[in-house]
Amino acid sequence: MMGLPELNPTVVLNGVINYLSSPAGIELIATFLKFLFVFVLVLQVPPIMVWAERRAPAFMQRRKGPNRVGIDIGPLKSRLYGLFQSLADTVKLIWKQEVMPDGANKVMYHLAPVFAVFAAIMIACAIPFGNDITAFGTKIPLSVIRLDVGFLFIFAISSLGVYTVTLAGWSSNNKYSLLGALRASAQMISYEIPLGLSLLPIVLIYGTLDLNEIVIEQTYFWQWGFIKAPVSFLIFLICMFAETNRAPFDLAEGESELVAGFHTEYNSAKFAAIFLGEYVSMFVLSCLASTIFFGGWQVGFISHEQLVNLLFGSEALAAFVGFNALLLKAAFFMWFYVWVRWTLPRFRYDQLMSLGWKFMLPLGLANILVTALVVAFLKF
Amino acid sequence: MTELLVFHALAGLITLCSIMVVASRNPVTSAVFLVVDLFCVAGLYAQMDAHFVAAIQVLVYAGAIVVLFMFVIMLLNLEPETMQGFRVSAPEVGILLVTIVGFIGVAVTMVLGGPSGANGGMTPEVIEQAGGNTFAVGMVLFTRYLWPFELASILILLAIVASVVIAKKDKPAAKDGAVAGKRSLTNGAR
Amino acid sequence: MNPYVPVILALVVGVTLGLILSGMATFIGPKKVYKKVKYEPYECGVPTVGSRDKMSVKFYLTAILFILFDIETVFLYLWATTFKQLGWFGVVEILVFLLILVAGYVYVVKRGALEWD
Repeated sequence: MMGLPELNPTVVLNGVINYLSSPAGIELIATFLKFLFVFVLVLQVPPIMVWAERRAPAFMQRRKGPNRVGIDIGPLKSRLYGLFQSLADTVKLIWKQEVMPDGANKVMYHLAPVFAVFAAIMIACAIPFGNDITAFGTKIPLSVIRLDVGFLFIFAISSLGVYTVTLAGWSSNNKYSLLGALRASAQMISYEIPLGLSLLPIVLIYGTLDLNEIVIEQTYFWQWGFIKAPVSFLIFLICMFAETNRAPFDLAEGESELVAGFHTEYNSAKFAAIFLGEYVSMFVLSCLASTIFFGGWQVGFISHEQLVNLLFGSEALAAFVGFNALLLKAAFFMWFYVWVRWTLPRFRYDQLMSLGWKFMLPLGLANILVTALVVAFLKF
Repeated sequence: MTELLVFHALAGLITLCSIMVVASRNPVTSAVFLVVDLFCVAGLYAQMDAHFVAAIQVLVYAGAIVVLFMFVIMLLNLEPETMQGFRVSAPEVGILLVTIVGFIGVAVTMVLGGPSGANGGMTPEVIEQAGGNTFAVGMVLFTRYLWPFELASILILLAIVASVVIAKKDKPAAKDGAVAGKRSLTNGAR
Repeated sequence: MNPYVPVILALVVGVTLGLILSGMATFIGPKKVYKKVKYEPYECGVPTVGSRDKMSVKFYLTAILFILFDIETVFLYLWATTFKQLGWFGVVEILVFLLILVAGYVYVVKRGALEWD
């Protein structure tokens, strides 16, 4: 028999407490808490966006939009601008019957939404929500995942999002789904290259792949990415729309031609899962745009140290303010998504592809070369 | 201890997924298993502190090359009836798995006297000193392996030209974009 | 702490949530059995023929070109991280690299491989 140490409950408990109060233990607890925070935050995004997606066009088209569902408990009676409509929708979606078409490939049909959800949740964890804070004598970075490869991690995982589209479209046994899937996946991979190229000048300028370090470099608003690399920002902005298959690049869905694209045959909670994945990747791209081009958690007019001093030397309060700054910037991009959807008409597929391959790709390369030469002349 | 456990879990998963890639009758199932397989290989790289290679493994292999496979599978018109189930049954997969893992285990033990577990020259500390994994890889690539790097560009160039030549074999070079014949998006391959 | 602990945490929770959402549809919803028509692929009018039909070779070409340019981007990222240390030497290296690739790109454009008809 192996010499297992005697499992005395008090000894075990003491060991656990000792471990958890050591720096490694604090880091572990912090990781779980941060993850929980991001997880809850991310799950709030789709309902709010569904609501915004209905209220915003209603506002633009001078109609009311959903405004009925609210709270009605005793004295508490409010319609809350129909905010609870999304809650009602979610509940309804979950309790609906799943109707899988005959001839669908069952395993792949069930698997496609999983790819959407896991990729979305993983990339959301890589966004820094604030500067490193010190708690109980341990330095804690305010992003769940921080790797040596920096934002290449986001690219790597989000490139797996293509499988949601291909698998969903292929397994549904529906011509519209397959066409939508092919269009969407070809579009997503085509725009992944300009997306990658657009962030290269940022690495050249700030000299790091780490998102938090990029944010630290952007203290004041005249140091923000969109001023230092405006062309990159333009390319990134266009790619944001193409990567998430949003209007004006929503060829994959193109209601008037392909019913709903790759998720035509999806309903009930599976549809909700695909929707969740889409909105969360929109949110992550918005956060990424804010982080890289708009200073992330930086307030913009005072430095982080000044902010900490202003807030009675509390790093936690400063982190809270910074988090709200990031959220505000991301919210702007989310609003921008909706705004553009109801402003611009849809592209044609050949226009979309030639925009990606014939305009964005050369522009991205030229942008890198020009940035490299400028930085080289300034610094070497 | 944890290291060994993670390694064996990943190795077992990789072997299992590889068997499934070959065993599945449905090419799309194979492709999905291949994605999981490549993802686990990235896990192995990550375990060896090769963060950059791990990220690129996922980005290029799992995220790009298997997408191409998917497109090829969609390009083929396969009868759904021929794609049911697996070529081998579950017990057979188990036997294969045990055999492969056992064989490799025995072979490694006999040839090398068991896994040594020794670290190479590039320990995490050395890489940390060099300024991070991505940076270290970049420095080595652009100084010591300069010629292979430049040759890689020629390799990519050849691949680009070759793919275009093969894909556009029967069409004359069109300058103004007016490609001969009006083909619909779906039926172009016929 | 190993930096991959949160990655594994996110991976496990993400996959679990995906499986739960995907499974919820199958297990929670009503299980009424409808007529056969309900389970036909969505279509208005004549049933579709050949839902898993052959696709244009264009998509295939796009995927190949994507892989190649993706690899190029990866090389560029390596260069960008070491840009300041390599200095002008690195700039010249990458110029040669890009020049060769741009030749390929020009060929692709000239052959009309990027045209969608």
